[in-house]
Amino acid sequence: MGREALDDMCRMCEWLGDGDIWYKNPRNYANRMYKLREPGKKATPFTGGAEGLASGLNRAIQAKADGDLETYQQIIKEINERDATRPGGQVLPLQDCIDLVRDIGTPVAAMHCICRKTTRAEEEQSINEYSCLGLGTGMFKWERWPERYRGGVQFLTPEQAAEFLEYWDQRGMVHMVMQEGGDFIGGLCNCDYPDCVPIRQRVDYGLNYRLTKGENICEVDYERCNGCGECLGRCQFNALKYEATIDKPNIDPMMCFGCALCMTACNRQAIRLVPRRQYAALQYVW
Amino acid sequence: MIPVNPVITIDRERCTTPFDCKRCLRVCPPAVFAVHAAKIVRGVETDRTEPGAYLLAAVYRDKCTGCMKCVEVCPVGALTVAMPQEVRA
Repeated sequence: MGREALDDMCRMCEWLGDGDIWYKNPRNYANRMYKLREPGKKATPFTGGAEGLASGLNRAIQAKADGDLETYQQIIKEINERDATRPGGQVLPLQDCIDLVRDIGTPVAAMHCICRKTTRAEEEQSINEYSCLGLGTGMFKWERWPERYRGGVQFLTPEQAAEFLEYWDQRGMVHMVMQEGGDFIGGLCNCDYPDCVPIRQRVDYGLNYRLTKGENICEVDYERCNGCGECLGRCQFNALKYEATIDKPNIDPMMCFGCALCMTACNRQAIRLVPRRQYAALQYVW
Repeated sequence: MIPVNPVITIDRERCTTPFDCKRCLRVCPPAVFAVHAAKIVRGVETDRTEPGAYLLAAVYRDKCTGCMKCVEVCPVGALTVAMPQEVRA
């Protein structure tokens, strides 16, 4: 399993990183290729969200809405205990996404966003509308499940994929790697609150293992910041706000997911990424 | 138990093509609703105009404020939003 995992790694890096960041490990883009189904066993069909309705989370939310907080908290606790034992998605900054599609995450295909299809009945029909990236050879099988890949897919060159990611970053979308089957990174999502299901599950319901925070946090360089406010409104995690006292933005490091959307909006390079593990009280906050 | 949020009911006899209609899904400020294909069939793209092919649900009900915007836009009168005090009475 490679080098010994460091204490301050997120659990995916510990399990799948071979000593480094898990989504930079080429192995995690290839595993599926070698996975064979048991003889006689059928593929699990996509259910398009139907399973979500019968899920524990849905029961929890209905209990919460009905005023039964005890049941709500109990179900959330059970889901978290189960999720802790398996990988989930993780937020990553634009530059890491671009490195990923240029170096290891090929082939890359643009496709519709399943979350916004579900929450807003969004239909993305062509490359001008697609907002999600599917990774790996599994994408060649999309025609078997045209409803899951509604609107089709379009394979992109690494350069096109980088441009695609820059476009959605400009539009204010958080980038996330999504794993499938436990050890295969099959998606690079671009989404925002409240339409993104993983963001929402984490922010609203405390399902913290569904979406892990990024490797870094964003920090304002107050020498460079002139308080223009371009970054305000970019944060999907309630970490960034305008602080009247100092007349400049303020980022709460405990809340920050390191998505770097505030950083990419800054024209003065006044926001920088700092590794989470640099701070004693943040290195275990995932 | 006193409900915190309104109780949302969807009459599926009336709401038959929610993915085609989209109105409540689009208008809801906290995006309470979700829509999904009733069944995903290999090799088939679901017809969004076929009655019953997609189902609407009020998944994120804990975010419902009772603003009634969804009831107002529903073209077939399929939605009812009952306020907590009404439900309790």
